[in-house]
Amino acid sequence: MNDQIFWIVLKRLRAPLLVVIVTFTISIIGLILIGGMDDEGKPYHMGFFDAFYFVSYMATTIGFGEAPYTFTYPQRMWVSGIIYMTVIGWFYAIGSIVALIQDDALRKAISRNRFSKQVKALSEPFYIILGYNSVTKDIINRVGVEDYRFVVLDKDEATIDELVLENFYPHVPAMVGDVTKQYMLKMAGIHQKNCVGIISLFKDDSKNTQIATICQLLNKKIDIIVKGSSPRHLEHFKSMGLKHVQDPFDIISNRIYYSITSPHIWLLEMWTYGHSLNLRKRDLLPHGKYIVCGYGRMGKAIEKGLKKAGVEYIMYDIDSVKYQKENKTTIFGDQKDREKLLELGVESAECIIAATKDDLLNLTILNKAKKLNPSIFTVARENSLEELTMFQAAKINKIYILEKILAECTYNCISKPLLDTFILEVRKKDEAWGKIIVDMLNEITGVSPHYFEVEIDEEHAYALSLELEKGEKIHLSHLRRSRENRENILPIVFLVLKRDEEIFLIPDSQMPLRLGDKLLIVSDDENREDFEYILNNIYELEYVLGKA
Amino acid sequence: MNMHKIISGFFFILAMTLNFGFFYGDAELIDHHSAYELFAAIVVNLIATVLKLGDKTQLGAVLLATSLVADIQLIASATVWAVALYVFNDIGVEATTAIVSLSGGALLANGVSVVLFISDTIKSKR
Repeated sequence: MNDQIFWIVLKRLRAPLLVVIVTFTISIIGLILIGGMDDEGKPYHMGFFDAFYFVSYMATTIGFGEAPYTFTYPQRMWVSGIIYMTVIGWFYAIGSIVALIQDDALRKAISRNRFSKQVKALSEPFYIILGYNSVTKDIINRVGVEDYRFVVLDKDEATIDELVLENFYPHVPAMVGDVTKQYMLKMAGIHQKNCVGIISLFKDDSKNTQIATICQLLNKKIDIIVKGSSPRHLEHFKSMGLKHVQDPFDIISNRIYYSITSPHIWLLEMWTYGHSLNLRKRDLLPHGKYIVCGYGRMGKAIEKGLKKAGVEYIMYDIDSVKYQKENKTTIFGDQKDREKLLELGVESAECIIAATKDDLLNLTILNKAKKLNPSIFTVARENSLEELTMFQAAKINKIYILEKILAECTYNCISKPLLDTFILEVRKKDEAWGKIIVDMLNEITGVSPHYFEVEIDEEHAYALSLELEKGEKIHLSHLRRSRENRENILPIVFLVLKRDEEIFLIPDSQMPLRLGDKLLIVSDDENREDFEYILNNIYELEYVLGKA
Repeated sequence: MNMHKIISGFFFILAMTLNFGFFYGDAELIDHHSAYELFAAIVVNLIATVLKLGDKTQLGAVLLATSLVADIQLIASATVWAVALYVFNDIGVEATTAIVSLSGGALLANGVSVVLFISDTIKSKR
């Protein structure tokens, strides 16, 4: 143990150990010098061993009795003195040792040591997560075993305890500490080769900025995933050249825009987050007049989306804190509120969005609106995940959960980077294109297909990379053949091909493959297995290529 | 002058001298070696060890190591004595040489410790 604290703490053992040694020595010498009497009445002197033996069990209060012979009075007088001396000395020493074990500084030193050992022992690529909460917990759970490991730092001891109780597999090393301190980040392994990136999704933008700046100075190579919501900080992040900036409000604004103007593009995006690839009418935001309650960051983001989509809307600036102060309740819906809703035109509106910071207020606003206009489409912002069932029970048409959106986006960005680029590319296309793609995917792979990424290299596509090294020309269409009968087509779709920095959306089937290409593919699980067989098994590949 | 230096120096050197006092004499005659001196050597060695605890420098670590070696050797020597005396009821030449040579090993360790301690003192310019 190289921690200096350990040595400093050890110093405290000096006094108790000295007390024990000195008291034992005095007692032993006394017992040897004082004469005794054996069974037959002959005088004798105790040996060193007898004296040491007797003092050892006396001082530790074990007390086997007088040995080797019954004591004489002079001996007993001496012993009654040394009992108090040695026992007190012994308890003092034991007490000191116990106090030492419980010493806060020592315990911290030990846990820090353990943590940095665990981090150093990580051999897989890993991310450092700063701040443990429901979002980051969700990310850890989603990313799962095969992709990345995680290291968590949080300043709150209770949260770390919570994480420990979670029993993640594989183990997630966690440590209490100030995340804005350099030495903490170093201990979490920011300098390690296998550290891929750092995830900082604090509510406080300036904290994220601070962390991003420190991390970039400490290690230029790592990915920094930060959350930012105010324009000033977003600008700053951009100037730092960060690739992954998560702005949940911007995501919502975009979703609203696409949901109104080009539902199929919206659907493709939602599909990457786990939505089924099937456009149902009730998922879509209606066209018509919108009422937005709440004009905070969320309200402004919604306004941006609605404005871009060219929809008629009216903003109602209701502040949850102010409302609570004025009305002494967060239940919306007295006479005044009713009139306000009517004044906003709830009876003629198509959709109402409750976007305040207070869940209860959001719920009651929507409830009231629904009473006044039963056919209205309701959208709620939900702030804490705990109340999800309440929102579901209230039959609200659409719920935006900031935490969940943040977790989903971060997960895609870590684990499915090609999917992330896919979304960005898809957004550039128009509705007609989106419809064609969705119809095609439905046709070939069904309503809820899965996607996976494959890199053409020796590890992931052994047979194929062998053939490519030989200089064979292999097109994408060659790989889309069934391994049962090569005349049949394997029902998979190539969504994206990434070659270096170039991205091909829905690549042409005659496109020749190259080593190092990355593919985003859609299929069901069974066909995925078949496809991976073809990539990795020489005989299967030769068969589909028509050689065997 | 440093009170801690005086005390620790005193015990380090006393540990060595007592050890030497016990070791000196005919290695085959137990009468040449006093049990009291061995007892004193063990106690003083233990105290010296405790005084070396908690020094986090490189030198402190080496000093602690030598001291631990001396402790183990001396305690082994006393154990051999006790076993020979009480279990076999006879301290022969074999047991005597074992007792004395074990303490000789401890003397060597104590010598190293004192040399290190003194050289460190000479090196420091205050």
